[in-house]
Amino acid sequence: MRIAILSGKGGTGKTTVATNLLSVSDNGVLIDTDVEEPNSHLFLKPQIHHSEAIKKRYPIVDETLCNLCGACGDFCRFNAILPAKKQVLVFKELCHDCGGCQMVCPQGAIQYKERSIGMVHTGKTDTNQVMHYGELIVGEISGVPIIERLHQITKDEDLVFIDSPPGTACSTVAAIESADYAIIVAEPTPFGVSDMKMVVELLRNLHIPMGVVVNKDGLGDDEIYRYCETESVHILGRIPFKKEYARHYAGGTLISKVDEEYRKNLTGILAQVIGRKEGV
Amino acid sequence: MLAVCAKEPGLDSKVDERFGRAEYYVIFDEAKNMPQSIENKAKFEAGGAGGTAVRLLNENGVDVLLAPELGPKAMDAIKAFEMTVYRYTEQKTVRETIEDYKAGKLSKIDTSTTPSKHGLRKV
Ligand code: SF4
Ligand code: SF4
Repeated sequence: MRIAILSGKGGTGKTTVATNLLSVSDNGVLIDTDVEEPNSHLFLKPQIHHSEAIKKRYPIVDETLCNLCGACGDFCRFNAILPAKKQVLVFKELCHDCGGCQMVCPQGAIQYKERSIGMVHTGKTDTNQVMHYGELIVGEISGVPIIERLHQITKDEDLVFIDSPPGTACSTVAAIESADYAIIVAEPTPFGVSDMKMVVELLRNLHIPMGVVVNKDGLGDDEIYRYCETESVHILGRIPFKKEYARHYAGGTLISKVDEEYRKNLTGILAQVIGRKEGV
Repeated sequence: MLAVCAKEPGLDSKVDERFGRAEYYVIFDEAKNMPQSIENKAKFEAGGAGGTAVRLLNENGVDVLLAPELGPKAMDAIKAFEMTVYRYTEQKTVRETIEDYKAGKLSKIDTSTTPSKHGLRKV
């Protein structure tokens, strides 16, 4: 089973929930697909034993062959190749490596070169749980190839927790589209609710069953509960707002390792998610 | 020929405060004193709209651009298409902005005015 943990915006406690779910599971593996700002490794503190560079290709134009016909620029949907007056400009960060410009070039002037766009690191926690996290090089636009790699290397695992990028961008879709279930982590504040609505819609479009974990319960108002009721979105659990939790979080400690009540709470949430799947 | 980023077609439109994502470009032929407005089809694109807009303007014979801002990719494209850019900072009409340009009130820019939008996280 692949369980995505996501949120409408950053800072709702998504990573806290994802890493603690991993910690209370026996056989889970975690992938951190929030490649622009991975941070689950800061809590899981894995010993990294393998790192691989993720590569992408981009076109280079042989100026001696190119006659500036413009075909490559007309073809590219991503504005990545721009035939200009005397040369062809390539914006390699915009290139999606589709291979199209090479196919349409009548002069055979286009070749591809590889470059690294980021890394995937694999490691084990002190309790021998496996985690993989991706890291996108700053300035790169799309972390999707890294996210796809994270999915690929865990495709045979029984239980995978997907710490997903916040929001509803392409990278979020790439992270969650293969999930069997999605846990939305939201805060009970008016902003939290409006951000969450977009995520609910996205999950509905992708036909992914979902439930909500309300983090920092007791801090805001009850709009989130009304919303979930009207929209029949299942509430999996509530994590109360507690100073100790915030302190553990700030210290980079997994709360479930030091707080029995929290551990029980998360174990209950996980049991519901796994049970639901089996019940379907 | 001269191009100005505009919110609507025509000389009496207000200027747009964006370049790559401007709604329209009003192209003005100084010799014929004739305006022509083209819609910016690249404005919905995820990234690199500026470069493609420069190419579109070049195809329409533009060599001078009046713009409010310019990202680094658009600036690279401007140079590769050998165009010149003057920057306006006021929300006037296209007509007034062209007058300002003719009166030498706009300053020429040759470096981008905005940092790359990519790699910055929207929170
Ligand atoms: S399609 Fe080939 S020949 Fe035409 S401009 Fe592009 S690189 Fe040059
Ligand atoms: S490979 Fe595809 S995305 Fe990249 S420049 Fe060529 S046409 Fe554009």
